[in-house]
Amino acid sequence: MRPLLALATAALLGLGLTACGSGSSPSAAGGETTITFWDDNGGPARTPVWQHIIGEFQKANPKIKVKYVGIPIAQAQQKYDTAIAGGGLPDVGGVSTAMLANLVAQKALEPLDDRIAKSALNGKINRQVLTTVKATVPDGKTYMMPMSTNMGVFWYRTDWFKEAGIAAPKTWSEFFTAIEKLTDKSKNRYGFTIRGGAGSIAQMMEVLYGQSGITEIFDPAGKATINDPRNVAALEKLAGLYKKVTPEADVTNDYVKMVAQFDGGNIAIMQHNLGSYNDHAKTLGEDKVAAMAVPRSDSGTQSILSNPVSGIGVFAAGERKDAAFKFAEFAASKAMNSHWAEKTGVLPANTEVDGERWIKDAQHVAEASRVLNDPATKVVQMPYYLPEFNAITKTEMEPLFQKVLLGQMPAKTFLDQFSAKLTEAQAKYRQRNG
Amino acid sequence: MARATRTPYLLIAPALIAMLGFLVYPMASVVYYSLQHYNVTKPWDNGFAGLDNFRTLLFEDPLFWQSLGFSVKWVAVEVTLQLLFGLALALIVNETFVGRALSRALVFSPWAVSGVLTTGIWVLLYNPTTGVSRYLADLGLMEYGAAPLADPDTVFSAAVVAELWRGVPFFAILLLADLQSAAKELYEAASVDGASRVRRFFHITLPHLKDAIILSTLLRCVWEFNNVDLLYTLTGGGPAHATTTLPLYVASKAAQAHDFGYGSALTTAAFLILTFFSIAYLRLSKFGAKA
Repeated sequence: MRPLLALATAALLGLGLTACGSGSSPSAAGGETTITFWDDNGGPARTPVWQHIIGEFQKANPKIKVKYVGIPIAQAQQKYDTAIAGGGLPDVGGVSTAMLANLVAQKALEPLDDRIAKSALNGKINRQVLTTVKATVPDGKTYMMPMSTNMGVFWYRTDWFKEAGIAAPKTWSEFFTAIEKLTDKSKNRYGFTIRGGAGSIAQMMEVLYGQSGITEIFDPAGKATINDPRNVAALEKLAGLYKKVTPEADVTNDYVKMVAQFDGGNIAIMQHNLGSYNDHAKTLGEDKVAAMAVPRSDSGTQSILSNPVSGIGVFAAGERKDAAFKFAEFAASKAMNSHWAEKTGVLPANTEVDGERWIKDAQHVAEASRVLNDPATKVVQMPYYLPEFNAITKTEMEPLFQKVLLGQMPAKTFLDQFSAKLTEAQAKYRQRNG
Repeated sequence: MARATRTPYLLIAPALIAMLGFLVYPMASVVYYSLQHYNVTKPWDNGFAGLDNFRTLLFEDPLFWQSLGFSVKWVAVEVTLQLLFGLALALIVNETFVGRALSRALVFSPWAVSGVLTTGIWVLLYNPTTGVSRYLADLGLMEYGAAPLADPDTVFSAAVVAELWRGVPFFAILLLADLQSAAKELYEAASVDGASRVRRFFHITLPHLKDAIILSTLLRCVWEFNNVDLLYTLTGGGPAHATTTLPLYVASKAAQAHDFGYGSALTTAAFLILTFFSIAYLRLSKFGAKA
């Protein structure tokens, strides 16, 4: 019995020691530093882009190795939250302004203002992008190195429009006429697709504020404008499209299902953002798809929603912050930022990239730049700074929006509830931050 | 003598430590957090909540009751249908016929497919762009665009069918294994006495299978109650909460809304419900009692 006990004890101790060893493995040995990078949107489209950037970085900095970990975008926030609670955060990771308030509330990120001020990128990051990043957090600091921003666009089938002899709509009236004309259910063709599943609320808000021409989410008293009668009318119009000019499956449409329908050749117009360009071009062909801006309201106002800024955060718990920032700085440099933005189809944050040839040649990027640079364009700032914003929009409002589409809840009731939640969150935010 | 007394405790110590670490600690942790306000996005509001979370779920949260009601309906329909189809299949493949081995392999094969893959298959089958309805519409047999997972009137049946495909083999395997041990002499004696096939089933087969049925239905009830993978991937709990079970609601509150305090209270409630149900079920069914 005694040898058996001794063996069991030795095995347990051995396991314990092994576990301790792997937990504290050195990542700076022989003058070489290893940093871990979490890509918050890992997948076949973006992973190769990061691998290229990492390869170039390691060539330029042979003493720093970057360990890449790709995380699917739907799980990124959850992975970060779990790592904050239980340990295991990376040194550096992809973040967006949509998750920034949450991460900063948990004191997970390092402010980068001083480091950026001393870096070669000082003064080269788009001012509007930097303002958005700072406005997302209560203390107004820069908690990420901005890489790119995005813009909501409507992707449309140029060949269908040509076939029907109509031009890309510029106003909402033209939009509604076009999608009706392009619907032919007997041929499994629909004029439009509504995102009714995961991620629906931001796109719904873009349609509402785009139609109503309202330019602020909160009025000066702090009351949410989402249930303004003009927005209610706009939602009634949108919900009225369901099953009339859109597929029935739209009520549960997430990004993947929505793109599958559009790229599968059943949809004339799909609302998303610049980021899905590569998927459409690969499946439909570059000549059959183009982007148009959010249509103007009938009063002539071009209202667009602010889109999350993507970038790289340096984690406060990391022990290799210098190397981590060096990587973030390198990724945002002109050559890398240009590569990143071109390959992922987004708007670069580094202003030095603005003059690159590919920006003028890419129709969707040129269209987005035209709208963003038009002084008449009104950007409705999404309240990403509210810590409750994600929970309100995703867990509470998405199922209720489905009820509106299914005719189980009036548009006004839904928007009144949405408005009450936003107003309450805004009041609490003001109370906390003055 | 003292060493002889210590040895048994030392021998069970690793198992005890593992149970404390992997069972008792997580459960105690969930109970602890159920008494806290704990939301990682709002650290300033965190703190002791007492029974606030339980008061909210009992009196102020209609979704708790709705998701609990749906869970009960889901478990009742799924387990009943799986048991009936599983028993029928077990009886069929227990008979001697040409191709029995192949039939058994086919009957059991869905159980060997991973849960995520199963839901992937059914998502594609139900998808109006890639699924069965698309091809039927191409043949002119129905209209384009039918989406059973998007219609509140059909989503429940569609999900039930998908889960049946996966769950029936579980009962078929277990019941077939038990059928193999049924005494042949009893059937022969009953036949000699002129008992019909139906009579033999109700008087010999069913009493023989009693304990296997009770145990497998209990296990399946708990698994179906806790089912997350199929419904999460297939419907996400929608449309409009039409297929939200209690565990899916927990996932949305804890993992998506980051409200781990309230999510823990929901989990504790689910744990108490399942524990009460299991004890009551075993007592009422007289599990293990001699027939």
